[in-house]
Amino acid sequence: MLKFLFLKVTRIFSETEVASLKAFIIARALALIPTVLILVTLVFFVMRVLPGDPVIAIVGMKAPPERVIELKKELGLMDEAGNPIPLPIQYLNYLSKLVRGDFGKSLIWGKRPVLVEIMEHFPATVELAIAGFIVSIILGLVLGSLGGWMGGKTSSAVKTYGAITYALFIPWIGMLFQLLFAVWLGILPVAGRIDTGLEPPTITGLYLIDSVITGRWDSFMSALRHITLPALTLGLVISGVFTRVTRTSVEEVMRQDFVVAARARGIPEHKILLHVLKNSFVPILTMMGLQLALLMTGAVLTETTFSWPGMGTFLLERIQYRDYTTVQGTVVFFAIIVSLVNLIVDICYAYIDPRIRY
Amino acid sequence: MVYERRFLDRWIDLRNICRKSFYVACGEVIGDMMGKYAKKRLAVSTAVAAVGIVIALIIGLIGGYFAGSMAAAPATATVTVTKTVGAKTVTSTVEKTVEKTITSTVEKTVTSVKTVPAGPAVSRIVIGVTDKVTDIDPSNAYDFYTWEVLSNIMGGLMRYAPGTTELEPGLATGYTVSPDGKEYTFRLRPNLYFADGTPMTAKDVVRSIKRVMEINGDPAWLVTDFVKDVVAVDDHTVKFILKEPIAFFPALVATAPYFPVHPAYKPKEIDSDQTAGGVGPYRIVKWVRDVELVLEANPYWWQGAPKTKQIVIKFFKDATALRMALEAGEIDIAWRTLRPTDIQDLKGKKGIKVIEVPGAYIRYIIFNTKIPPFDNPLVRKALAAAVNRKAICERVFLGTTAPLYSMIPMGMWSHKDSFLEKYGEHNIELAKKLLKEAGYSETNKLKIELWYTPTHYGDTEVDVATLIKEAWEETGLVEVTLKSAEWTTYLEYTRKGMLGATLYGWYPDYIDPDDYTSPWVNASWTGYAYSNPELIEILKEARVKPTLEERAKLYEKAQDIWAEDAAIVPIFQGKLAVAVREGVEGVILDPTMLFRYWLIYKTS
Repeated sequence: MLKFLFLKVTRIFSETEVASLKAFIIARALALIPTVLILVTLVFFVMRVLPGDPVIAIVGMKAPPERVIELKKELGLMDEAGNPIPLPIQYLNYLSKLVRGDFGKSLIWGKRPVLVEIMEHFPATVELAIAGFIVSIILGLVLGSLGGWMGGKTSSAVKTYGAITYALFIPWIGMLFQLLFAVWLGILPVAGRIDTGLEPPTITGLYLIDSVITGRWDSFMSALRHITLPALTLGLVISGVFTRVTRTSVEEVMRQDFVVAARARGIPEHKILLHVLKNSFVPILTMMGLQLALLMTGAVLTETTFSWPGMGTFLLERIQYRDYTTVQGTVVFFAIIVSLVNLIVDICYAYIDPRIRY
Repeated sequence: MVYERRFLDRWIDLRNICRKSFYVACGEVIGDMMGKYAKKRLAVSTAVAAVGIVIALIIGLIGGYFAGSMAAAPATATVTVTKTVGAKTVTSTVEKTVEKTITSTVEKTVTSVKTVPAGPAVSRIVIGVTDKVTDIDPSNAYDFYTWEVLSNIMGGLMRYAPGTTELEPGLATGYTVSPDGKEYTFRLRPNLYFADGTPMTAKDVVRSIKRVMEINGDPAWLVTDFVKDVVAVDDHTVKFILKEPIAFFPALVATAPYFPVHPAYKPKEIDSDQTAGGVGPYRIVKWVRDVELVLEANPYWWQGAPKTKQIVIKFFKDATALRMALEAGEIDIAWRTLRPTDIQDLKGKKGIKVIEVPGAYIRYIIFNTKIPPFDNPLVRKALAAAVNRKAICERVFLGTTAPLYSMIPMGMWSHKDSFLEKYGEHNIELAKKLLKEAGYSETNKLKIELWYTPTHYGDTEVDVATLIKEAWEETGLVEVTLKSAEWTTYLEYTRKGMLGATLYGWYPDYIDPDDYTSPWVNASWTGYAYSNPELIEILKEARVKPTLEERAKLYEKAQDIWAEDAAIVPIFQGKLAVAVREGVEGVILDPTMLFRYWLIYKTS
């Protein structure tokens, strides 16, 4: 048996496979460039084609005309002589800055670098996304495999659960949770990320982890209490898809010969379930990758409902203020993150299913 | 073992994925060697883990509950009211006549300055808002909420006496005006200090105001339109030289752009996140944009440290969450802006008080007199007569707003119900008559578009527009199409003069009839929708007339002309509502709409 294992292991690390995997990763990474470029172009032009002058939106209707012109110059919409710069030139200027890693500066409130603003809000979203993801995976895997395993009525109940949660409207379910846990029971807070004055020192930016690292128990409890409702809301809504995929996948694997054979040989059911789960893991993993995009959109609504200071609320607010550079920067940032995650999922997927070869 | 081996084969395939196959497989091999015991152990450990998770969850929930109640405890349990200082003793009001000098009654309170009182451990009040803070810099802040924050961390030479629209001395003890009305000289209080103990002198006032003029930000016109120069006569005297004699100059001095700021503010650029503040009751100790703002009592304030040691402002994204946070006791005060339905609901709740005050914000319709059919005065008058203001106030705002018949709001001197006198309320008969006069009939209806913007003025906007449409169509001679545009688009179209009838709102900059009249006449932002040479003359004159009586007369006349032209039609005036938990006292609101945090305190 050991010899057999050894053979397997050496095969994985063999020269050819690693080389082709490298090629695959490089190819996929290169494919990121056009994806991001298309997005950047779309966002750039859509933001500008939309009617409405961002400058007036920023300075307000009471501002004098000189101030409007001044700001337009500052934003690169007008040259020094006061002539408008053509859109294609603006676009090229923007791209050349972007490739140098310059996301530009925000148009409002202190005109801070966009990247700095993004990095301030990103950890909050990551924390919420991870927490929501964990909740959804637990719910999805447990209920899904239960449905697939038991079949019959349980299966259809799980199916219904999947459909209902998938259709849930985040602000609504969030509000119900707030009402139940915060207003009626009074055990969890309505909104926010942590209690005043309890923020742990920034290490990772994730309060839960930072407070553990620095050993601040009160901060940890406060952060945990605050994240519970948003994570439950987000997790519940996303768990629908997981449940469905897990259930179908488990059901499918259950019909395979090896399960019948294993049962025939009197293998205990729980052990069979373990095997079944592992075999049905491929589609679930794919779904996890795909869910990340949904997680981000879900985060926008969840964050608004719970006043969670993350990327979602940040983006929404800046769209309202028509803060071009920040919106562009944030969308590009999102695009890169989602693409990277997809890349990782693809690589994992290629591993899982040897038929998908580079 | 045959089937085992086949499974193992499959398993290994899968485990390769994670590149950890070796270790996992080793574990499996060891498990295999342990044989049957392994199964039992697996079962036992699973059971133990499950029980463990359940116990952890229960502990977590209970712990969370206690942690929560403990965290909330200091906020509710500490009942510390520091000595009542100043605020109530200030009773002097400003005489509008130029000859008089204001004498102060407040100087005696300055004695305690420079000694930091030990103070209570924590007496904290948490305020929730859905507003935003823009620039914590008076050179560019131009929105109500930021002005409120500024007025709590800074102060002007003059200020509004809480609960009134009357001016009283702030950092100054009073002022004198030159005979030609073009020079205002303010005398500063002695011993003024910034929140960090740095002394403040007349030079700081001059520096701050020149800074505003140089940066020329959004609200800078409040200075630059009126002030030619400002000089420090000595350490305690500031002289303003005006472009023309402005009767309401002391009211301008009470606005944010005139607040002296700490030297830490960047001299030539907007300093959006500067927390050094000015000379005010509080100082910022923590500022996380869109999350929270923590203010702490300024021990050096000239009125003595305020009653509540710490004010925490929490920023909510959603009005529903704001309301629930109040009910759950997470916040003590739910401030701007609760929904009308929530206000109505909270009124009946135990342990919660709703305090209403008339606000100085107004809503109105702009008819662009350059666009047909609105260039016809008969059409405008007919539409002005038909509007059903009461229905809007009662049905959309559930009584939280009041019908308004003049641009100058109720409660302000010179206010006159000119539109009511001229057209009455919801006067369909008059509207019909005027429309027929203009040549319209049941077969030849007046077809117009009414524009509104869906979110800027709250979710209620579409209902307001619908009720106006209904009222107009009630005449049977008008056909209205509702159109909406997102705020930026809306503003741009208006500025370009493309929209015939639009709905807008106004928050005051300074509490004076001038701010409720001048901004619309021949204004570029409205696309020059309304202009009347006679009115322009009257308004100009009203600006510079020295006495209140003379000014009031001119504004009354202006309001009549306004109603006669019916180009800009007032609809309603907002009321402000704040919901507070029982035990919170000292909430004093007035039409300036600025909440004075230094007056609030908790009793239980």
